[in-house]
Amino acid sequence: MKSGRASFWVTLRKELLDGIRDRRSILAALVPLAMIPAMLLFGFDRASDEMERVRNIKVPVTGGDRAAPLIDWLDRQSGVDIADGPDDPREAVRKGEVGLALVIPEDFAERFDRSKTAKVEVVVDSSNSRNRRTADRLRSLLRAYAQQLAAQRLVARGVSPEVIRPIRVASVDLATDRERMAPAFAFLPMVLLITVFVGGLQIAIDSTAGERERGSLEPLLINPVSLLSFVGGKWGASVVFAWACALLATGMLLAVLEYSPLQRVGLDLDLGPPEITRILAAALPLAPLASGLQMSVATLARSYKEAQTYVSFLMFVPMAPLMFSIGAPVERALWKLAVPVLGQHVLITSALEGKPFAPLDFFVAAAAALAAAAVFVYLTARLFRREAIVFGR
Amino acid sequence: MIEVRDLGKRFGDVVAVDGVTFRSQDGAVTALLGPNGAGKTTTLRMIYGMTRPDRGEVSVDGIDARADPLGARALLGVLPEARGTYPRLTAREHVEYFGRLHGLRGAELDRRCDALIDLLAMAEIADRRAGGFSHGERTKVALARALVHGPRNVVLDEPTSGLDVMATRAIRKMIRLLRDEGKCVVFSSHVMQEVAAVCDSLVVVARGTVVACGTPDELRAKTGHESLEDAFVALTDSEEGQP
Repeated sequence: MKSGRASFWVTLRKELLDGIRDRRSILAALVPLAMIPAMLLFGFDRASDEMERVRNIKVPVTGGDRAAPLIDWLDRQSGVDIADGPDDPREAVRKGEVGLALVIPEDFAERFDRSKTAKVEVVVDSSNSRNRRTADRLRSLLRAYAQQLAAQRLVARGVSPEVIRPIRVASVDLATDRERMAPAFAFLPMVLLITVFVGGLQIAIDSTAGERERGSLEPLLINPVSLLSFVGGKWGASVVFAWACALLATGMLLAVLEYSPLQRVGLDLDLGPPEITRILAAALPLAPLASGLQMSVATLARSYKEAQTYVSFLMFVPMAPLMFSIGAPVERALWKLAVPVLGQHVLITSALEGKPFAPLDFFVAAAAALAAAAVFVYLTARLFRREAIVFGR
Repeated sequence: MIEVRDLGKRFGDVVAVDGVTFRSQDGAVTALLGPNGAGKTTTLRMIYGMTRPDRGEVSVDGIDARADPLGARALLGVLPEARGTYPRLTAREHVEYFGRLHGLRGAELDRRCDALIDLLAMAEIADRRAGGFSHGERTKVALARALVHGPRNVVLDEPTSGLDVMATRAIRKMIRLLRDEGKCVVFSSHVMQEVAAVCDSLVVVARGTVVACGTPDELRAKTGHESLEDAFVALTDSEEGQP
C-alpha cells in the first residue's frame, strides 16, 4: 500500500508541480541566472576594449606643425594614430568630444631650437579610466622621445648620456595573462554556489512556513504518512530546483565562454568545459545541504515573511569561507574537506587552478555536505512533531 | 467506531480538555456540541493524533491511536479546523494528492475523485486553481480530499461554519450519505440547528468536560426543555449563570 518511499515521491511530485507553477520560485531561480552572461559579457567587453585602446591609441594633436619631428616620430610608433586636434582642446575635452588632446604651444619651436625646455600639454579628462590609460601611454612615449633627444644633445656636446641616468629601473612582470585576469573570474564559482543556494529557496520556504501560513499543513500532516517522508519529499523538490538552476547556470557559463571575445582579448584562459564541470561537480552536493538548512530555518520562523528574512541571511553561508581567506586560495587539508561548504571551496580552488581533484577529496567533501543535509532534514521532521510549530504560535 | 476515554489536555495553566469520554458508533452521526472554547477542537485533534493527550485513550476501530497513530489515521477522514488549500493546484489535484498519499493510484484514484466531485457538486471548480476559491469552495475541496480514501470513520471540525445555505446543504447531504453507508461520523458544532438536522447522538461539552450525552430526545427529556436550544443553554450554562 503506502510505503514511506511512495509518499516521498508523491510529495516531491506535488511540490515540483506547485513550484513550477509558482512565478516567484521561477523568478527567484532565474534572476541570478540572467545575471551571469550579463556580468561576464560586460567584464569581457571592458577587458578587451581597454586592451585594444591601450595598444592602439588615437592622439588628436593641436598645433602639430610647430613640432613636426616629434609628431613624425610619434606617428612612426606602432599603435599610434595621429589625428588633427580640435581648435579649443580644453573645451573639446571638457565636453567629451575627444578623450584627450596633445597640445603644442606657440613658443614650442622657438624654445626647442634654443635647446631650452619646451612644453607640450596632454589635456585629458582623467575621470575616465580609458582616457587615463591612453594618456599614460602617450606620456611614456613623450618621455622616451625626450630621453632620446637629451641623449643626442649630450653626445653632441661630448658628454655620455649615462651621466644623466644614474639609475635605470627595469621592471620584470612575471604574471601571466591568465593570472592578471584571475580576479575577473574569481566570481564564477561564487555565482554557481549562489545559484545552488537560491535555486531551491522558494520551495523550501513555501513548503514549510508557507504551508503553515496557508493553513494546509495540518490537513496534510493528518495523512497517514511519516513526517520524514513529507519533509523528505519537500526537501527533494527543493534540491531538484537548485540542481536544475545550477545546471542551467553552468550551461550559460559554457555558452558565454564559448562565444565570448576571449580570443580578441588574446587571453589564453584555462577555463573551459573541464574546469567548469569540475566546479559544478563540487557545488552540486551543496544543494541538499542548502535546502535542508533553509527548510529547518523556515520551519522555525513564525511567519512566511520571517522565514524569508532568516533564509536570506543564509546566503552568507556559501560566501563565509571566502571572507576568511580574501584573495588567498583555500589550501587543501583533509579537515577542511570534511567541513561542509569549506570543502566545496577547496575543490573549487583546485578546479580553478586547472587541477582535477582526487576522487577521494570529492567524496569526502560530498559526504560531509550530504551528512549535514541529512541532519537538517531529520531536524525539520522533528520540528514538525511539535504542536506549537504545526498550529503556529 | 471511535472511542474516547477520559481524555485530558492542558496548555500551560489552561485546562483545555478535562476527562472527555464518549463512543461514536458505526452508521451513526455523533455531534460534539459546545460553546466556543469548550475544548471541541482539542478533543478532535487528539482523536486524529495532531495533539498528544496528557491522559486518556483514543481508539479507532479498535486501534490505539497513541500506540499506532499512522494506523489510526489511515482509518480516519478528517476535515480539520484549518482548511488551507494550495493556490496553484486545481481542486481535482488537491483530491488526487491526498488520494496518492493514501496509496491510491490509477483508475481507482480517478474513480474516487470523480465520485467526490460529483457528490459535492464541484464539477465547475474541479479544474480551476484554488487561488480564487470562496470559503465554501475551499471547504468542499478540504472535505473531498479528506474522504478520497473512503475512510470508515470521519471527523469533521465545524464543517458548516461560515458557509452559505447551498454549501451547508451539500455538506449535510454528504454527512447523511456517509451515515447511510454505515460509517462512523463525528462532527463538532456550536450551532444548535445544525446538530438537530443531522445527528443521531449528542455529546455536549462545556469547559473541557462532557456535561451530557444521548439522543436529542433524551436530552430534551433530561433537561425538561422542549426546544433543543433551550436544553443546550441549560446544559452549558456555567454555574455563575453566564450564557
